[in-house]
Amino acid sequence: MEAKMQLNTLMANMFATGLLDDQFRQLQILHEGSSPDFITEIITLFCMEGEGIINDLAKLLNKPFVDFNKVDTLLYRLQGSSATVGAQRVKDTCIQFHKFCQDNTRYGCLDTLDVVRNDFYDLRSKFQIMVQLEQQVWTFYRKH
Amino acid sequence: MEGGGGLEEGVMRVLLVDDSPVDRKVVQLVLGSNTFAGSFHVTAVDSAKKAMEFLGLKDGKEQAIDMVLTDYCMPEMNGYDLLKAIKAMSFLKPIPVIVMSSENEPQRISRCLKAGAEDYIVKPLQTKDVPRLRSCSNAKSKDASCNTVSNRKLPADHIVVDGASSPGRRAHITEIAMILHSSSAGLSHYFPFLFKFILLVYTILCLGELLHRWSNGSFLSMW
Repeated sequence: MEAKMQLNTLMANMFATGLLDDQFRQLQILHEGSSPDFITEIITLFCMEGEGIINDLAKLLNKPFVDFNKVDTLLYRLQGSSATVGAQRVKDTCIQFHKFCQDNTRYGCLDTLDVVRNDFYDLRSKFQIMVQLEQQVWTFYRKH
Repeated sequence: MEGGGGLEEGVMRVLLVDDSPVDRKVVQLVLGSNTFAGSFHVTAVDSAKKAMEFLGLKDGKEQAIDMVLTDYCMPEMNGYDLLKAIKAMSFLKPIPVIVMSSENEPQRISRCLKAGAEDYIVKPLQTKDVPRLRSCSNAKSKDASCNTVSNRKLPADHIVVDGASSPGRRAHITEIAMILHSSSAGLSHYFPFLFKFILLVYTILCLGELLHRWSNGSFLSMW
């Protein structure tokens, strides 16, 4: 089935390029024993949460006086949820971001925020394709 | 927020505290997976403040919870402060607390264990971490292994659970060890005063004995 092949290719690519790590495979294993919509739900939650955090980070860093403690707290949350879903590249960029935060370097933080944003949006677009393909596969198997 | 009453025996009642909805969802999935079906009843809250309200630490009305599983980094009140609050207020009926964090930082781990945390788990929580939760819980557990961070990195004077004991005896010893560990963590800053007090009592007893012997005339016979 073509959707299944495309899904497999997409997944392989995401793991090979470091977008995802083994934690996502662990979620898939857990997913097999639970609700079929579980992965979709997790991905949707992650995308919503991640976008909100990145927007909040941008607001904080563009203020005249940056509260780096608040920035750090938000970063930990993004790093934590990235680690939970297996979003390796976003997680690694958050770790780099922390270093600039601890040094209280606004421009370093802003540059790294751009990297985080790009990594996150890249992951999000691939997640959206993954969800669509999964739904096609699920629909196909349900009919047959 | 769900209540915890009317559960079967052996079901572990877990209060999960994490400000990230993704992390809460995944932990609930792990604990509710087929591997551990029916073993856990999870109540999830998104802040330390709500956790304290749920535990009744403000109003004094207790909720039945076997274990608290909390994220470390949260806004307003973090997991470390929640840990200290739970240990301080639940001294008579200690509630095991396990801290989770995405940071595998030795200083943070040590800090949490010294504050009385039963264990420290590096996120994300995985299936292989669940036995560590069981071994820390107040709920009756079967043959729970005791392979927590706090037991792997024990100080020299800590109680060690004998792995060859029967499960019931081991669980009892584990419970005593947890209580002593959590109480000793809270009392550690009183040790200097305790030591001085014991020394003083001992000195008084020795002096009393000497005076007694002297008054009986047997003082010189000591030599």
